[in-house]
Amino acid sequence: MSLISTRDLTKAFSPAVVALDNLSLDVSPGIIGFVGANGAGKTTFIRILLGLLAPTSGSAAVLDMDVRGDQMAIRRVVGYMPENDCLPIDVSGADFVAHMGRMSGLPFQAARERAAEMLRHVGLHEERYRLIGGYSTGMKQRVKLAQALVHDPKLLLLDEPTNGLDPAGRDDMLSLIARTGTEFGISVIVTSHLLGEIERVCEQLIAIDGGKLRYSGPVAAFTELTERLVVELDDESPDLAAALRSRGLDVDGNATQMRITVRDDSTYDVIRDAAAELGAPIARMHLTRHKLEELFRDQVVAHG
Amino acid sequence: MAETTAATAKAGALYDLGYQRYTGVRLDRANSVRTLFGFSFRTAFGLGRGARSKVIPSIILGIVFIPAIVSVGAASTTGFVTLINYAGHLQFTSFLIALFAAAQAPELVVTDRQYGVLTLYLARPITGILYALSKLAALIAAMMVLTFGPQFLLFLGKVFIAASPWAAFKDEWTILGPLIVGTLTVSAFVGSVALAISSFAGRRAYASASVIGFFLLVPAAATVIRSLATGETKRYLILAHPINVITGFANWIFHIEAKRRTQVGRADLPGSYYFAVMLAVIVVATTVLILRYRRSEA
Repeated sequence: MSLISTRDLTKAFSPAVVALDNLSLDVSPGIIGFVGANGAGKTTFIRILLGLLAPTSGSAAVLDMDVRGDQMAIRRVVGYMPENDCLPIDVSGADFVAHMGRMSGLPFQAARERAAEMLRHVGLHEERYRLIGGYSTGMKQRVKLAQALVHDPKLLLLDEPTNGLDPAGRDDMLSLIARTGTEFGISVIVTSHLLGEIERVCEQLIAIDGGKLRYSGPVAAFTELTERLVVELDDESPDLAAALRSRGLDVDGNATQMRITVRDDSTYDVIRDAAAELGAPIARMHLTRHKLEELFRDQVVAHG
Repeated sequence: MAETTAATAKAGALYDLGYQRYTGVRLDRANSVRTLFGFSFRTAFGLGRGARSKVIPSIILGIVFIPAIVSVGAASTTGFVTLINYAGHLQFTSFLIALFAAAQAPELVVTDRQYGVLTLYLARPITGILYALSKLAALIAAMMVLTFGPQFLLFLGKVFIAASPWAAFKDEWTILGPLIVGTLTVSAFVGSVALAISSFAGRRAYASASVIGFFLLVPAAATVIRSLATGETKRYLILAHPINVITGFANWIFHIEAKRRTQVGRADLPGSYYFAVMLAVIVVATTVLILRYRRSEA
């Protein structure tokens, strides 16, 4: 069964503003990261899956249900956590999550029980009887996750779930997402503009930029694609870069700092040998990530 | 059996009972509509909300019910059975329910938009149009409590204070038809206008001000324009005045002769004209409301 399948999916808000450009994807169940810079079309994609936006052309299906014809059936089995604020202030967390469960078709008693269960799962206990207006950002994010889970969906769509959280809160949210995906057996699509945090919890990755598909596949391969070794030198050593290039490495940078693509462990040996030969004073070496934007720019250049 | 995880010790928080899939019954879309209706109906009275949300509804409930309660109470102790008449009470409440609609219609639709809750609703199995109609039905039902409630109390009072309740019921029961149609029409008239206006506001205060403005400025404007007009035009311009329309309609449905000196009395139009205007306004306001939420259907 295909989790999500799109064919030439295009959404143009106007001829000049194309949010999604001929996107063709096939995603199988699991925890899927959906990355792209702000404005890349992530939210548009999710809203189309929910039937909240109509595609301009092309088709999209969620769990083999068409987004145009079966949107009500899709919404029954999908839980959605929007990026922005979406909670009322003067209702208690318990009441609100139960209400949302009933909206999705759960009977009154079942909705109350599942609301309590889900709020406990996300880590809200006695607070759930207080009004949401008094919650911290982290607690609100938890309520947002709980309301997306209350009707036991087959697929969770989480739009930037770590937005506005402090580092500890981000960690909590990410491990909560990982647990939900692995232990509950619910497929999760989680969007982020931060590649670093998303690859920790995801098995598959989809990257889009400017509405175009850039990558779709396992996380590991994408990590290799984006990882760079930064070598900093104490003193200028103009020959080192050339020496490394002659040994087959992909190097860019200047005489005191360069970025090198790591192919495998032998890359480190090559650098060590070249530096020893030239007497280049290496100050430090560390792994870094391309920013998403840089990566896409590079790829455009490479393809062009 | 609650087995605790390592996280429990750290955060004193997570009890891992394991995840239970939901295997029970899943209800249809009508259930979602009923749920939204019920939740919104309670919201209109501030139920399930903070204490502050209950203040205005409680005050208005008090004002519309107290005269009816006092009237029935006084009649039962003195045995003197002259109660407030239905048409009079409907006119008396028309301004109060406009106030209620101005205060509570924004609670039903503006906050959902302002805080983004609408997005969550529309991600559930319900369409934008059904959302709007559920909200409208909830507001009208809440206003029926204010319009029909006290009237029904007066009805019960008249029946049970009478020496022979059964005879009194046989005399009075025919009023129930006009009572229901009358209060429903007035509630739908004020409610649909208030909700349609509120659906365009970004803040509750703007919505309330706009609704109050509508029920104060439109009559004022109608009065001014009317004073400039002459002859037949002048007579028909009474229909542009919402409060006079309610008055004219209430007189018609309860078969009461309009007082000669009032505007309604002088215009002397057939009562059905007022009814027609109200129905037209209800249709227009509901259409506007549907158009406002239709786009969310995609």
